[in-house]
Amino acid sequence: MQGEVVEVTLRSLYISGSATLLASAWSIPLAYLMASRPRWRGLASALEALVGVPTVLVGLALYMLLSRRGPLGFLGLLYTPQAIIVGEAILITPLIASVAYRALRHAVENYGELALSLGATEAQAMATAVREAAGGILAAAVMGFSRAVGELGVALMVGGNIKGYTRTMTTTIALDVAMGEFEEAMALGAILVLLLIGVSMTIRFIAGGAVAK
Amino acid sequence: MQSRLALAAIVLAILVMAGGLFYYFSGQKPVRVTATTTTSLYATGLLEYLADKFHGTHPNVQIEFIAVGSGEALRRAEMGDACMVFVHAPSLEKQYLEKGVIEDGKIFAYNYFVIVGPPRDPAGVKNAKSAVEAFRAIYIAGEEGKAVFVSRGDNSGTHVKELSLWKAAGLDPRGRSWYKESGQGMAQTLVMASEMGAYTLSDIGTYLKLKSEGKIPGLEILYASGEELINIYSVYLVKTCTGKERQAAEEFAKFVVEYQDLIGSYGVDRYGQPLFYPAKGKEDYLRQVWERLAGG
Repeated sequence: MQGEVVEVTLRSLYISGSATLLASAWSIPLAYLMASRPRWRGLASALEALVGVPTVLVGLALYMLLSRRGPLGFLGLLYTPQAIIVGEAILITPLIASVAYRALRHAVENYGELALSLGATEAQAMATAVREAAGGILAAAVMGFSRAVGELGVALMVGGNIKGYTRTMTTTIALDVAMGEFEEAMALGAILVLLLIGVSMTIRFIAGGAVAK
Repeated sequence: MQSRLALAAIVLAILVMAGGLFYYFSGQKPVRVTATTTTSLYATGLLEYLADKFHGTHPNVQIEFIAVGSGEALRRAEMGDACMVFVHAPSLEKQYLEKGVIEDGKIFAYNYFVIVGPPRDPAGVKNAKSAVEAFRAIYIAGEEGKAVFVSRGDNSGTHVKELSLWKAAGLDPRGRSWYKESGQGMAQTLVMASEMGAYTLSDIGTYLKLKSEGKIPGLEILYASGEELINIYSVYLVKTCTGKERQAAEEFAKFVVEYQDLIGSYGVDRYGQPLFYPAKGKEDYLRQVWERLAGG
């Protein structure tokens, strides 16, 4: 029992952490594009609207793609932790991109354009804006991580809740509830919440200087 | 400032890698057989128990269970995402057999659904001669404001069974004020029924488990026998599954059907009575009942 708790906790950290890094890798550049190019701005409201998209819907769509009969079935990704990583990365993209966009927009207007007018290259201007908006971008990533750890639909649909392989904290909680193990579910839920707060505070503490303002 | 950010990134990366390494070393075995099943069956622990025993003699095979609803279990098989299916929904099974999705069906166990309710039994279910009569008594007591019934309302195997009993009684309780649809799993529904002092239909496994843990003090078994309430568990192989996985799945299906003592004794130490009865020796009778259930 205790071994299993440690195991699913580590697996959830690995899966959701990877998903957050993956999603950040494309969401933050996307947020910068939206902040610096007026033509991309319309996308921002669409992404904001998609923040609350039901997790089970993303899970189902991805399942249809990854199913052995689906168009991406040949990848053999269904029922693997990697499938959950991809699904969660897609799920949290709107959240990370739209929160990072808000932070970046301000920074681009105040510092990026100033840097450009002082003769900086586009890349330098972007670096300046990203540096100035670091706190907001970090907050976006932490929020994305939180949603990834806490989501159930994707992990259940494409992971399959396989014991010792794709079972995460939330799928364990759901199974415990279905089995009537309410105490175990609550205990694991408490660990999940503590973990989220711990990760958030650790990142804030380490990056303290950047986030202070 | 940047170095702090870099440090944050490194810490995050280390956490992720630690998880990754852990996952890698606790990773999978050579032949993975995917089996879909229903949550209620999986929740009894029987399948993992059998898979563990099987693993002892077949260390190269890893049976992986995907526990979902009955409909979803068969649907995933149709999509080619499972090699074997463990289910207890004859009418659904028949549909998928006719579609040519599953084959080689074997009945490996059975048990009974139970009608549970408040110990004082205001509807007099205890005195009923059949499950249909018991449902009629609940309907009448409900109309008189003396009884409440909680239905799963989620199209699960148990819910389908419940609806077929109302139909056999010639009654339609849907929409009546005493008939509550929970839309949730068996455990949650039992807890709800216990809290409300209501009746419900349950599988024996979930009921015994919650009862032994003291979670449903407001319920006891009021009716539990007869062909109407029989619950038949079958294992199928999926046609699209081939090669090594298929071979391993066939061996596991054979194992489950052959080692029936494991099934008959499962749960006795914990609940004082078995959760399942072995199908061995009763195959013909169970097949007949299965046909009737599938046809209805």
